[in-house]
Amino acid sequence: MRRSLRHWVLGAWSVAALFYLFLPIFVIALFSFNDNQGRFNFTWQGFTLRHWADPFANPDLAEALKNSLLIAGLDTLIATALGTLMAVALVRYSFRGRGAVDMLVFLPLSTPEVVLGAALLALFLTVNIGTGFVTILIAHVMFTISYVVVTVKARLEGMDRHIEEAAMDLGATEFVTFRKVTLPMIAPGVAAAGLLAAAISVDDYVITSFNAGQTTTFPLFIFGATRQGVPAEVNVLGTMLLLVVLFLMGANVMLQRRLARRDANLLHRSVSTATEPLQAR
Amino acid sequence: MKPEERPIQNILDELVHGDPVSRRHMLGRVGAAGVTLAGLPAFLSACGGVEGTSTTSSTAAQAAAAAVDHPKVPIGDWTFTNWPLYIDKKVLKSFNKEFGGKVKYVEEINDNFEFFGKVRQQLSSGRPIDRDIVVLTDYMAARWLRDGYVEAIDKKNVPNMSNLVDNLQTINYDPNRDFTLPWQSGAIGLGYDISKTGREITSVKDLFDPKFKGRVSMLAEPYDSANTVLLGDGVDASKATLDQILGAIDKIDEANQAGQFRRFTGNDYTTDLTKGNVWIALAYSGDLIQLQSDNPDLRFAYPEEGAMLFTDNMMIPKDAAHPYAAETMMNYVYDPEVQAKITEFVNYIPPVIGVQELLEKSDPELAKNELIFPPEEVRKKLFAYPQLSSGDERKMQEAMAKVTGA
Amino acid sequence: MLRLSLARRRSLLPWLFVGPGLLWLALFFIIPLANQANVSLQTGNPDTGYAFTWAFSTYTDAISEYQEQFLRSLGYAATATVLCLIIAFPLAYFTAYRAGRFRNLMLLLIILPFFMSYVLRTVAWQLILSDNGWVLARLRDVGLVSDTGRLLATRTAVIAGITYNFLPFMALPLYVSLEKIDRRLIEAAKDLYASPITAFRKVTLPLALPGIFAGSLLTFIPACGDFVNAALLGTSRQFMIGNVIQSKFITILDYPTAAALSFILMSFILIGIFIYARLLGARNLTQAAL
Repeated sequence: MRRSLRHWVLGAWSVAALFYLFLPIFVIALFSFNDNQGRFNFTWQGFTLRHWADPFANPDLAEALKNSLLIAGLDTLIATALGTLMAVALVRYSFRGRGAVDMLVFLPLSTPEVVLGAALLALFLTVNIGTGFVTILIAHVMFTISYVVVTVKARLEGMDRHIEEAAMDLGATEFVTFRKVTLPMIAPGVAAAGLLAAAISVDDYVITSFNAGQTTTFPLFIFGATRQGVPAEVNVLGTMLLLVVLFLMGANVMLQRRLARRDANLLHRSVSTATEPLQAR
Repeated sequence: MKPEERPIQNILDELVHGDPVSRRHMLGRVGAAGVTLAGLPAFLSACGGVEGTSTTSSTAAQAAAAAVDHPKVPIGDWTFTNWPLYIDKKVLKSFNKEFGGKVKYVEEINDNFEFFGKVRQQLSSGRPIDRDIVVLTDYMAARWLRDGYVEAIDKKNVPNMSNLVDNLQTINYDPNRDFTLPWQSGAIGLGYDISKTGREITSVKDLFDPKFKGRVSMLAEPYDSANTVLLGDGVDASKATLDQILGAIDKIDEANQAGQFRRFTGNDYTTDLTKGNVWIALAYSGDLIQLQSDNPDLRFAYPEEGAMLFTDNMMIPKDAAHPYAAETMMNYVYDPEVQAKITEFVNYIPPVIGVQELLEKSDPELAKNELIFPPEEVRKKLFAYPQLSSGDERKMQEAMAKVTGA
Repeated sequence: MLRLSLARRRSLLPWLFVGPGLLWLALFFIIPLANQANVSLQTGNPDTGYAFTWAFSTYTDAISEYQEQFLRSLGYAATATVLCLIIAFPLAYFTAYRAGRFRNLMLLLIILPFFMSYVLRTVAWQLILSDNGWVLARLRDVGLVSDTGRLLATRTAVIAGITYNFLPFMALPLYVSLEKIDRRLIEAAKDLYASPITAFRKVTLPLALPGIFAGSLLTFIPACGDFVNAALLGTSRQFMIGNVIQSKFITILDYPTAAALSFILMSFILIGIFIYARLLGARNLTQAAL
């Protein structure tokens, strides 16, 4: 049967593609169990659990991870708040200069990170702001705002305006309408945007490296360590982070399934809203 | 020029034996380190002296060095900036315990020029950079001195400075060590995998052997690579001119066009070498000791034509807030007992006398290691970096960047 | 208290909403970029300092000198984008239509590798592709690579690395656009005796175009400016314009050239987006891109 053959080929291709995606992940996880003797962790020298026994043994690594998570958290809060407001204005109101604002939001997305990082550093130096935790945060908010705007906009555009209009007809002010009607409706989009912002922030190397000063983040630590031998604890923490995300996502899927008993669950919706914006409209 | 034809070497030998300072030190020290290290000191001082380029010892700088006074104050919270994995962290803990305060130890230097780019603007506009010790390689240290970005060291606070090995007592850009104090030294030589090359690698020429085409990695830093190539051609690299260096870069370019070099690297040659992707790498001596525990086939050779010697130096940046804390730390790591702990961890050449003797007791294997304690005949053929003006240095960097494709 | 008319309030409100974000972008994106534009027209050197001289020659010099790296960046990024599309389209199609109750699992698996650090993943590829690795040995067995050939430090490795790192950026928008398609349209086409291939070509593909467009942009733009893949998986002969900008900024301290290169790259990207949008028939640039 041709249909089942096509089906089979498609399935096999997908499995192969997933294998491609996961191959390096397996290698990273595998080397977290490597009983490496020297400082370098390149060659397999036997199985051990010792790196997993105390993944925070290296205080600098722990500090770097803490910084990364803290910056990602704050960045998510600020960028999501600012970006959501912008998205609402861009979709819900027509005002002079909207096209320009739209363009301004798009530009950071089309600017290579090297350019963003270097330009920002030059500014901080000119106005004499010492680089460090705060400047990393400023930079991260700057380049994640656009992702948030684009994501929330997509959600807004797919929404029925009439509900908001009905609220206003019933005497609600614009702010009340925004707080009680618009915000709850776009919540999944906002959540997806926040997730995106957090993921981008936590993994950024290029822009951070320019603006970090003496602060070290997880990616900076890893890049520094690649030159001198990445400690196996990095593999452990990387794998742990992955497992935590896997667990959260899995739990979310289960929860949604139980709550909604519908096909649409948050993961699916999040992915939809996170990427929809980028589709031409 | 063959080594034996080097007239400068003869002058140097004369200087070594005629130099009253090093002689006194030699006689004064029974320690083997002191004796075996005697080859280099005056040699290095001579580099500055003979060439007469040491513009750093301007009278103003000397006056600053003489007038420096950092009174004893509580240590407090202060900042020490260094390269990754360049200290045993236990040393920091015991320092805090002994002297109070808290050292913020930041491993943020991955490349001299990259770090300089980060702090340059503050330095040039006369603002402090919020770091109390930075550790930079000779050529960058020289540049900071030239530009006046360094605070003089108050030697009263560093009595252990007398433990500095003879060969580093003086250096072309800072003849009296008024501003800089060596952290660790190392040689730039040939790291190779003997199971792949099938033979001992001994010469800089082996880097260009077509048999190893595509299996060689070169250092991207021209101070390291171009000068090593010059040594291979019999040129005294410590006195190399810009033209000679550009010639060496041309030679590297030619070989690269022919596919001789697999990559240009920083410290990251280590991955390729351990994994067998590269058979011969221009490498830093200290790394190889670490790499051998991953791949026992790895060897390090000092090239027979001579090797570049680099020293990373502790310096107090201009207007640093805690010079006394910095000097207390300098003094602390110049205690041989403390230095021995660092050597055991980093495996580079310690700048402090008496370390080898201490290690003979605690770790005899390490004490015998020629990469940490180079034998006399090797020491004679270690060369300091040439001194280049900022403009020449930039021309060199640009020429090399063209070769490395960036 | 100042009383504003309703109309006035309504016209201020959007600016109230846009304001904070706009301020942030103005302060930390526009001003730095304007500053860079100024720098790009300066001449001088790091020792004596730079001065503004309307030096447009920096731009022309940069283009002629780094033509090779520019072309290489665009070429690698385009190749990687096409490869991503080829790999991701069937994957997204399968996930959207055939995965059944495993659909969420598939989605999760596509996103998950994202959460492993980018640098760490690329370093892992160094190990996988190494000369003594399993992958190269198998490729040698089947004769795809000569016995002395290699994978690491070649163009293939750099493009493969870029493809790998940006694959999810392609797969997710594709999935969303495919999933949105009303399957009844495909059924209808089949009812009208369209072969499965014709139905795919005439119905599915056109409806998936927005996803293809979005995915391509998300892959192509960061790929153009990338330097990590070339630095870790390539040699100097594979260096891209990102590597040059990075080295000019950080090592050589030639800020004008670095700034000029940045603006040239940005304009290449914007022109590329514009042409691509036209090709795919999007009506308006911003609309298409956002």
